[in-house]
Amino acid sequence: MFHPVPFSHYARSLCLMILCAVISTSLLAQSAITIRGSVTDAGNSQTLPGVNILIKDSSQGTTTDAEGNFTISASAGSTLIFSFIGYITQQYVVNSESSLNVKLETDTHALSEVVVTGYSSQQKKDIVGSVAVVNVKELQSVPSRSAGQALQGMASGVNVIRSGVPGNGSKITIRGVTNFGNTDPLVIVDGIQQDINNISSQDIESIQVLKDAGAAAIYGVRGANGVVLITTKKGKSGKPVINFQSTINMVQPLSGNPFNVLNSQEYMQVYNTAFPNNDRFINGMPDYMYRGPGGAGVAKEGDPAVNPSLYHYASPNIGQNYIIQKVNKEGTDWYGAMFKKAITTEQNLSVNGGTEKSKYLFSLGLLDQKGTLIETSLKRYSARVNTEYTLGKHIRVGENLNVIYRDTRGFSENSDFGGIIETVKMPPIVPLYDIKGNYGGTFAGPALGDAQNPIAVQQRNRKNDLVNQWHILGNIYAEVDLFKDFTLRSSLGYNVVNSFNQDFNTTQVENVQGNNSDNSLNINYSFSRMMTFTNLLTYKKNIGDHNISVVVGTEAIENVGRGVSAARERYFSEDFNFMVLNNGTNAITNSSSVSKNSLFSQFGRIDYVFQDKYILGATIRRDGSSVFGPDKRYGIFPSVSAGWRISGEEFMSNLSWIQDLKLRGSWGVLGSQSNVSAVNAFSLFGSGMSTTYYDINGASNAIVQGFGVSRIGNLATGWEENVVTNLGLDMSILNNNLEFSIEYYKKKINGLLFSQPLPAVVIGGATSPSVNIGDIQNTGIDGSVRYRGKIGSDITYNAGVNITSYQNKVVNIPDPGYFFSGGHQGLGSIVRNEEGHPVSSFYGYRVTGLFNSQAEVDAAPTQNSAAPGRFRYEDINGDGVINSDDRTHLGNPNPDFTYGINLNIGYKRFDLGAFFYGSQGNQIFNVTKAYTHFAGYYPTTNMSRDLLNAWTPENTNTNIPKIESVNTFSTAAAPNSFFIENGSFLKMRSLSLGYTFAPHLIQKVNISNLRLFAQIENLFTITKYSGLDPEIIGGDTSSLGLDRGAYPNNEKGFIFGLSVNF
Amino acid sequence: MISTLSCNQSFLDIKPYGSVSETTLSNEQGANLLLIGAYSLLDGGGATGGNYTIGIGRLRGGDEITQGTETGPSIYNTMLYTEADASIEDRWKFTYAAVNRCNDVLRLLPKVTDSTPQALLQIEAETKFLRGVYYLSLAMFYKNVPWIDETIEYSKKNYFVSNTANIYPQIEADFQFAADNLTETKAQVGRANKWAAKSFLAKTFMFQNKFSEAKTLLEDIIANGQTSNGLKYKLLDRYNDNFITRTKNGSEAVFTVQMSVNDGTTNGNGNYMDRYNGTYGGPATCCYGWGQPTFDYVDAFQTDATKGLPLIDTYQNTPLPTDNGIESNQAFTPYQGTLDSRLDWTVGRRGIPYRDWGVHPGKAWVRNQFNTGPYVVIKNIVEQARVNTDRGTDGASNNPYSLIRFADVLLWAAECEVEAGSLSKAEEYVNIVRARAANPDGFVKKYLDPSDPMKGYSNEPAANYKVGLYNGEFTSQGKSYARKAVFFERRLELGQEWHRFFDMVRFDGRDYDMNANMSWLMQREGKAILNEANNWLLGSFDKTKHAYFPIPLGQIDLSVIDGKSALVQNPGW
Repeated sequence: MFHPVPFSHYARSLCLMILCAVISTSLLAQSAITIRGSVTDAGNSQTLPGVNILIKDSSQGTTTDAEGNFTISASAGSTLIFSFIGYITQQYVVNSESSLNVKLETDTHALSEVVVTGYSSQQKKDIVGSVAVVNVKELQSVPSRSAGQALQGMASGVNVIRSGVPGNGSKITIRGVTNFGNTDPLVIVDGIQQDINNISSQDIESIQVLKDAGAAAIYGVRGANGVVLITTKKGKSGKPVINFQSTINMVQPLSGNPFNVLNSQEYMQVYNTAFPNNDRFINGMPDYMYRGPGGAGVAKEGDPAVNPSLYHYASPNIGQNYIIQKVNKEGTDWYGAMFKKAITTEQNLSVNGGTEKSKYLFSLGLLDQKGTLIETSLKRYSARVNTEYTLGKHIRVGENLNVIYRDTRGFSENSDFGGIIETVKMPPIVPLYDIKGNYGGTFAGPALGDAQNPIAVQQRNRKNDLVNQWHILGNIYAEVDLFKDFTLRSSLGYNVVNSFNQDFNTTQVENVQGNNSDNSLNINYSFSRMMTFTNLLTYKKNIGDHNISVVVGTEAIENVGRGVSAARERYFSEDFNFMVLNNGTNAITNSSSVSKNSLFSQFGRIDYVFQDKYILGATIRRDGSSVFGPDKRYGIFPSVSAGWRISGEEFMSNLSWIQDLKLRGSWGVLGSQSNVSAVNAFSLFGSGMSTTYYDINGASNAIVQGFGVSRIGNLATGWEENVVTNLGLDMSILNNNLEFSIEYYKKKINGLLFSQPLPAVVIGGATSPSVNIGDIQNTGIDGSVRYRGKIGSDITYNAGVNITSYQNKVVNIPDPGYFFSGGHQGLGSIVRNEEGHPVSSFYGYRVTGLFNSQAEVDAAPTQNSAAPGRFRYEDINGDGVINSDDRTHLGNPNPDFTYGINLNIGYKRFDLGAFFYGSQGNQIFNVTKAYTHFAGYYPTTNMSRDLLNAWTPENTNTNIPKIESVNTFSTAAAPNSFFIENGSFLKMRSLSLGYTFAPHLIQKVNISNLRLFAQIENLFTITKYSGLDPEIIGGDTSSLGLDRGAYPNNEKGFIFGLSVNF
Repeated sequence: MISTLSCNQSFLDIKPYGSVSETTLSNEQGANLLLIGAYSLLDGGGATGGNYTIGIGRLRGGDEITQGTETGPSIYNTMLYTEADASIEDRWKFTYAAVNRCNDVLRLLPKVTDSTPQALLQIEAETKFLRGVYYLSLAMFYKNVPWIDETIEYSKKNYFVSNTANIYPQIEADFQFAADNLTETKAQVGRANKWAAKSFLAKTFMFQNKFSEAKTLLEDIIANGQTSNGLKYKLLDRYNDNFITRTKNGSEAVFTVQMSVNDGTTNGNGNYMDRYNGTYGGPATCCYGWGQPTFDYVDAFQTDATKGLPLIDTYQNTPLPTDNGIESNQAFTPYQGTLDSRLDWTVGRRGIPYRDWGVHPGKAWVRNQFNTGPYVVIKNIVEQARVNTDRGTDGASNNPYSLIRFADVLLWAAECEVEAGSLSKAEEYVNIVRARAANPDGFVKKYLDPSDPMKGYSNEPAANYKVGLYNGEFTSQGKSYARKAVFFERRLELGQEWHRFFDMVRFDGRDYDMNANMSWLMQREGKAILNEANNWLLGSFDKTKHAYFPIPLGQIDLSVIDGKSALVQNPGW
């Protein structure tokens, strides 16, 4: 241990060690004495239970008890080693004193921290690949419902867009989007692939994000989108330690009028402008609206047409319903009715402990989240059992088991239909309930549109939905130390998901569409299983200046999925307890599905460090995958990386303010198969009752089976290769108080897997094969900086910033060099992926203003439907005609950079923390404006108050086009820059204040540690964006930055919590 | 374990589940299954791009307006669509998916070894018949389309086929092959027989103005044709029997799409293209209230009070009174003058029984009179008495849709005779069609009890119907009159059956000016609509540009090879 390598990066402990060494050699061995003492945190003086205390060069040791106290017998002159995760290890040489109070310093710079990397672990200082090590303490201090959410802003190079919908996952990308399909990173939890959104951040011991090929290439074909490695907490030897944490979060919906919609009077004004002499407001604001077998109309109080005795309600409506509703003259606040205050509670209980030979951790988690959107919720119960046993001296066996049960009532995220935008589509004059207390809606009244009463949908349909999932995952493993330096490890893991969905749709009697449709019940059941069988042989050896570690291994992964679904319609009762399929009488359908794919891999890794200054690493992986044809089945993924610890050189030794300076670089190849179907190689024919059956007998109610082509296969499809080059500089200066890291990378995709764009003449109704064409290139800079300091003896503080930037460019896609995606029913295609432009660019006509007169129209280039008050488009190619050649790239949903800022201040027993997250330079295509700013789509929708300032011949100083009942090419029937907004934002994600009780106050009640805290979530968002929330989670890459009414993720929450240790 | 896995190739060798490969289908049964798959797209749904939007074809004809929503007339009525229009591309995709299903059958046939030449010949002939049907539709919609046959395959990379060659010869060849080889009758009524193939061949001639070739063929069809279930071609006694399920597949059904609902699917095999068309409000409500007939179309059904002949050149001067803007509880008297009886089997209008659903109350059953006028469709609407069997969950019905019915054949024959100069023969054919319309047995009748329409009908016609036969007018007034009369008869007889726009394109230049007519129509409709700001008044029609749909921009882009697209855009775009 004391070889003459300068450990300058942790000078404090080095000094201590030298001191110890000096003392230990100057003293003579004496007889055993009993030493009693306590271990506390040097920062906040908290006692530390579970600290390992070992007598050097012996197997004797102990741990501190729940109060942080210990007793140990040691001979004078021997050395005691105090170690505890997250703290700098300290050594004391035993002298004659029998009491010893040790203060451990937090290991914030943590260069000696052992970090889990691909299939092995390394000291952080020896890492030369690009690995972002997440500060778990900070991660756990941000309010979150899952690790996926908590990861936002915590690591440079990692972009997280959170979802506000209970149970929905976050969208995580590492170093930007580099394909047109699945961009999710590989998430490995304790060696098994798992959904990051199912893990509570409280269960996490460490998170590392592998960003470059040097780090991630060992994951081969699975590594292209980056790898997130999560290690969960494990048992520690010592007395059982019980930790309990509980929080309550009171979330407030967005206040006021988030979509800025019109009230009833304003609505009447705008509507009358668009539809003069319409049926509804012909006599001003009516008192009632109705529809019966004789038609729909409006009425004033006392009109016989709205005599309540006429009211008739039956479900389904067979033409006899007569429904009357009272006009809401103030305007129904549909948003306010849809969103209510909601409470989320979370409890985590863990027990861990053990002996030298056996360690255990048992934890329970309970999350009960209510969404602010009524009838949305997530209940997640999770249990974890991690144990490890040492058999003899050289064999360890263990297991990690995690069982999760989820009960979700989610919501369609960012959707044109059935989403939050329905609160805008409902006219404000429609009341929540009709005169008899049934749901109000578009049935009772003239031309009220076809929107669904969203409150009715939630309370009546979604309330009874079931989405129940069991996730059972874990692994068993055995480790054997062979000879002296070898370890053999074998692990068999499974991730099993059982899912049951039940979806009942009642007849929407209040809706003008569907009021006579039958109710229906759909049930889906699915099962999936992923097996991971990993075998590793590890060799570690220090020989003088040489430090070598080698890992070789194999891995077999098999995915199997099965599903059954069935549906029936026409249930005579809508009682929830009646809802079994057997009771439905019509449209009886059922189906099943099977899928399977497998992967077999061999890999190796070598890390070599010379004199702690020169670091070399290399990995190679060979993957064989079932999704490719026999000729393309195997792929090889190499990487090399190198680092130079400049601070270790002689010439740096007089720069004492530099504790660590390291230059590193890597090159390698990552693979991807994630956008390839398991049957990509095959040409297949399939059969479907709706798609290939035909009533060839003319029976009118019976069909005969037929087949049709379902997929065209391509045997030539192979891996997608991501070639990644990375350069990094790490620095730690000023007594390690300032840490700094910056990286440049270039990621180039060769043979981008791409669903081949084929003309209809050859693809017909089949699915295109994925083929290797195209190239996307990302370059970028990730950086992080952290400073920690002290003011006086009572105030400690630290501040950290990390930043992620990337430049994204489509380098090559097949002829014609672009393709469209992401559209809207009225606007058409909005997104064009094109060579030389970023992925998912917005594309359309650029609005240069509004035409103010016919003279302006006549003088301008010829433009379809041009008229005063409508948009004037830029003639991009200058040919005097505005047509499809004048479309241009209007904006980029990819941010220039995103950043996270962490600020922490400790004062005595108080701690104050703040976390900010921001995104800069991204644009949003605000699709919701199609509804809110134009009367032409669904002209009965409510609209924005901006329309009160719409263009008229008298009001020309505006950018809001004239109010009219039709949409044209020159307004909202073509995608244009009117919809583009600046999407930059800065959010204060959390502000928290905590207080830790002094040990002497709580020890009487057997509590070793008690911390109370209060937090405010999303205190503010700074943005110019006019929609609900600029942080927009899309579906896939094709709809990045399209706001169709995204679920807000900036609602304020007030959180109170406590954390207690026994 | 490590070594067993690494050596075990079968771990990575996983065959697909739930589908079959061509090998499994390479037998007679497999070929038949693929053929059924090719038939199954006749209903307009079941493959990519297939849904109601492929019904856009009928919106351009001026016979109907739009989806009848609050947004007013569609961009297809008013020619405001662009070459990037998604529905226009969907129709292209869908129809080529159907062509591909046919090609799949033809590619498979040489690999079938367990069958007889006779059986395989029937499969091949039916397949070529279907391919002809799908290609004829492509030619009608887009005109310049690439001919993709069974030799074009993904694996051969030969699929960038130009659209500059005329494909009518290939369509003719497919129908000729089918006509030569198909049997006269079929065990299953839905299959194409020899006479259906001949009729489609005749239609193909008509679309090329090959009147003499068509004439010979049509005479053969009229004299000898029979349906695949063995009924000699003949008009049904009652016009409406062509459009309802209980009387379908009769002697007039030359080739009918077999629609099916309540068959285990929700909507999968019903009449996709009409599923949103119908009333909106009232007992018959099933749909979205789309597909509303136009003012001009209804006006065309006026007849001369003495002779009962249509007012071919003058009907536009006497627009019918309508209940547009009149509440259902306000008084309205339907037109009392003479009308063609086919009107009330085609258009739902106020005061007239709407099948067995009740007397149409006007506005109460119309989605949005303010934007789309007072009329609703009928032909695709099921009878209330059979609603449980004939209507699916989402409004789709199993009402039959005949791609060709015998009246169409007779009127082609009349057209050919006019072009050949034999005007009296032409009049004879037209009169066969009119005689059926004149049959009082086939009129819409008043209910026995208007409050209980299911009780049945009286013998009293619902309106003042008067349909007379031509009596030498063709000869006496000359060829130009005869042409117009045939063309007008097609409009009345085949209304809302998807033919009108294509007929307009065909007739243009033959005593018919499509540009002038469409311009007039847009003004007529635009001014009749109560909403002053409607699409009709924004649109303009230019035959050079609008006679055919543009080649979908997306497909042009997808067909680029070596920097140039194999597809050339149509004129005017």
